[in-house]
Amino acid sequence: MILLLGPAGLLLLVVFAAPLLHYAWLSYHADSVVTGLEPVLNHGANWIRLLQDQRFWQDATQTLRFALVSVGVELLLALAIALLLDQRWRGRGAVRAIALIPWALPTTVMALGWRWIFNTPYGPLDQLAHALGWPSLNLLASPAITWIATVVGDVWKTTPFAALILLAGLQTIPGDLYEALRLEGGSSWVCFRRITLPLLRPYLALALLFRLAQAFGVFDLIQVMTGGGPASSTESLALYAYLNAMRFLDFGYSATVVSGSFLLLLGLCLGGWLLSLGLSRPQRQQEV
Amino acid sequence: MPHQRRLWIVLLLAWSLGPLLWQLYTSFCSDQALVAPLAATPERWTLAHYRAVLNSQPPFWRYLLNSLFVGTSSTLLTLVIALPAAYALTRLKPWIARPARLLLLAAALFPYVLLFLALLEVARSLHLGNNLLALSIPYAALSQPLAILLLTAAFRDLPLDLEDAARLEGMRLWQRLRWVLIPLIAPATTSTAILVFLFSWNEYPIALTWISDASLLTLPVAMARIAGSSIYSVPYGAYAAATVLGSIPLVLLVLVFQKSIVSGLTSGAVKG
Repeated sequence: MILLLGPAGLLLLVVFAAPLLHYAWLSYHADSVVTGLEPVLNHGANWIRLLQDQRFWQDATQTLRFALVSVGVELLLALAIALLLDQRWRGRGAVRAIALIPWALPTTVMALGWRWIFNTPYGPLDQLAHALGWPSLNLLASPAITWIATVVGDVWKTTPFAALILLAGLQTIPGDLYEALRLEGGSSWVCFRRITLPLLRPYLALALLFRLAQAFGVFDLIQVMTGGGPASSTESLALYAYLNAMRFLDFGYSATVVSGSFLLLLGLCLGGWLLSLGLSRPQRQQEV
Repeated sequence: MPHQRRLWIVLLLAWSLGPLLWQLYTSFCSDQALVAPLAATPERWTLAHYRAVLNSQPPFWRYLLNSLFVGTSSTLLTLVIALPAAYALTRLKPWIARPARLLLLAAALFPYVLLFLALLEVARSLHLGNNLLALSIPYAALSQPLAILLLTAAFRDLPLDLEDAARLEGMRLWQRLRWVLIPLIAPATTSTAILVFLFSWNEYPIALTWISDASLLTLPVAMARIAGSSIYSVPYGAYAAATVLGSIPLVLLVLVFQKSIVSGLTSGAVKG
């Protein structure tokens, strides 16, 4: 029986475990054009550089900001969409399929589409602003707000997935519960507060965890939509690691950036988990 | 209530389709119309962008074929490996199966982008670059966690008696899987296959670093190349035409398999 697991286990070891170990090893080596692209042990120099690297910490905050805002907006939208798609009405199947389309398209395809929509001065948004007599939004050229444009692109693309997970949760809630509460005179808001939300909590947690981890690794969207600019104001950790390896050919430091990002993500998950424990405990007592 | 609901449905449709429809509109606009959308231009509509995309070197359909090839081979490889593993997970003792499932969940959550650098080194040392078939190895590996979790959920739903009966008939493990168990979980296999296919079709960072030969690019990388060719002037008209052409297969796929995708993800999420 264990033999059947063999190929899958091997593949997972090679693709998940080995790279992580390799990164940990490489992060203690200099491996760049200077060393002739050969790894040379430099002890903790990379890690000291990482701790002092302003760009790394700036990217870490930006990535975190991007992930938190985009996942937060996404979950709210996804909850609304899931509630809508869970009700029975004519044409629901077709609307479900259409709502899934953004998620099914390659990120790079629409990343450039968004660049065109946010284009100054020819994009539709700027045209609209112009027609209304407003100043140009200049959404892709001002370091203070360009990240909002990337959030819009991410929310558009990944909300359907979160909505699907929440829809799965809604389908597990028996309809009798609502009927019982309604007989007692509960309004739809009371039903939502007392039945939907508590029973949906595990699915919200799953969607949150999944999307937060994925948003933390955001790469495609940023690389194509803004290239990390303007003035690296939208650069994510994954993009920084990519640039270190592919543009600056500094593989040792790139491995350090990846390892550092991984540790940050681990800390984030741990923090989120502890937070959810703290949040769920009083709630559980209330339900009892 | 119905009126209110209709409003929400319209909003949802506008939000989901709006950006795509704008690309569709752009793809038929001549360049003059694009830079002056409100002014009266003599030649507003054109097919020039589509002609440019289809006659470019290599032609656009080449990328579609490449993606189709990678998607199909990755999906097959994923299923061949994940089906036995998922079955084993449902038959193993809980003290192995439970930690294994947790590890799989962690791997499924892991942002795989962080792995591209090490995978690139593997590709270099094993000479797997510029090979579409080789690309299906990392894709199959990255798809394993989700595929195994979804298929395990399906195997667990099958009654144990069924397998016992097949065993009494004298069927060996391989035969039981091939003729009894795997056919019974066909719906879950279909939805898993679609998800893996979508992932492989859309994957970007690994394809970007493994493939450099222009005639072997997959669709997402080819699209990004158009964007990266110049920061200041992207040929938006031609790009919009490419978006439309590149979206058609996926839009069809989603429309046809909507039920399968929803039921696959929902049943997996319920039990996972």
